[in-house]
Amino acid sequence: MRESTARTLGLVLAAAYAVFIVWLYVRQPQTVAEMTGALSATVGAYRIDDRAFADGLRFFRGDQFDAARLAFDRADPAHQDSRTQFYIAYSYYRQGWGRVYNDDALFARGLEAVDRAVAVAPQGRIAVEDPDLQLRSADELKAELQAGLRRELADLNPLKVFRQRK
Amino acid sequence: MSRTREAFVLPLLFLTVALLGGLRVADRIVLLPPPLFTLVLAFLLVGVLVRSGALAPERLMSAARSPLANISGAVVIVTAFAAATQAFNVAIPESGLPRLLFSVFLLVLLINTFAASPDRVRVLRSVLVIFGSAFVLKFIVLAALSDPAGGWLKRVLLAMLEGLTLGTMSQELYRPATGYLAFLTLILFVGALALLPSRPDALLPTRYDPRRGELER
Repeated sequence: MRESTARTLGLVLAAAYAVFIVWLYVRQPQTVAEMTGALSATVGAYRIDDRAFADGLRFFRGDQFDAARLAFDRADPAHQDSRTQFYIAYSYYRQGWGRVYNDDALFARGLEAVDRAVAVAPQGRIAVEDPDLQLRSADELKAELQAGLRRELADLNPLKVFRQRK
Repeated sequence: MSRTREAFVLPLLFLTVALLGGLRVADRIVLLPPPLFTLVLAFLLVGVLVRSGALAPERLMSAARSPLANISGAVVIVTAFAAATQAFNVAIPESGLPRLLFSVFLLVLLINTFAASPDRVRVLRSVLVIFGSAFVLKFIVLAALSDPAGGWLKRVLLAMLEGLTLGTMSQELYRPATGYLAFLTLILFVGALALLPSRPDALLPTRYDPRRGELER
């Protein structure tokens, strides 16, 4: 191999490796599935498993939230699909919602999921056209989750028991 | 130095160290970016390497070389700096009093090595001892102290450090894989440092000449 060819090849390899390392440290993938998913999402080749998503939606509508999340996780193992992450966040909201009090742990996980959804959505905007949902955007869902986690005097209002889950 | 080593081996070795240096395996994989202080330590270490002749920048970048060869040499220097930063990221604990103590200890040690102007072989030995002892203290001693289950080592250490509270000593507990990866990272780093182009006279160790009363090669 000629010297200039070898050096150019070395530079290209080193540059590509360095870009990959910086990308990893910025994206912080936590599993191999997330890493490969994020890589394919970067080049626009990421696809969710539609069948698993449909299963998740069916469980979600039947209030089987744990099963729904398992199916959604199967559909989007790399956490790169904003709609699936939105439904995961919504499942935490519905499961954690209570007439007297909310489950803070589930609401906090819902907040994490909605943040994940916003992070991967184009321009950070998510709007889901689903007649079954009353909160159809990530902004509404996030506000609802944040309000649920807040401690305020209105929490002591006895009329709260008449509110409806969204 | 062969062009293969300069164009491929060294940059890829140093970049691998830069990649693995921040890797921590807990319940999930975490990639910790290097703290700012590690940049200072890495800068000092590169200074020590140049002063001792373990790294000869003139063999990587000079007017006699072609522009492409100079770019290739610059990549080696930059990746060596990045790897040094991440090697210190591996060696320094993540929080609390140990982080402060390790940082000060490493800073003083590097300044001392810089002032002593040792030869290449001694600097490489010194680097091996610095990172080796930091590894033992962080991944064996501190990890044992931070382990809530507590093994025999923790009991022995607690007996030795009677009266010490572990509030400021405890570190986040990682999986054992983190220690193995850290060991591999440090070995790769020291190995890559040994492969750096050195000054020809730096290959000879310095000896004390009692007649002239000074060090000579």
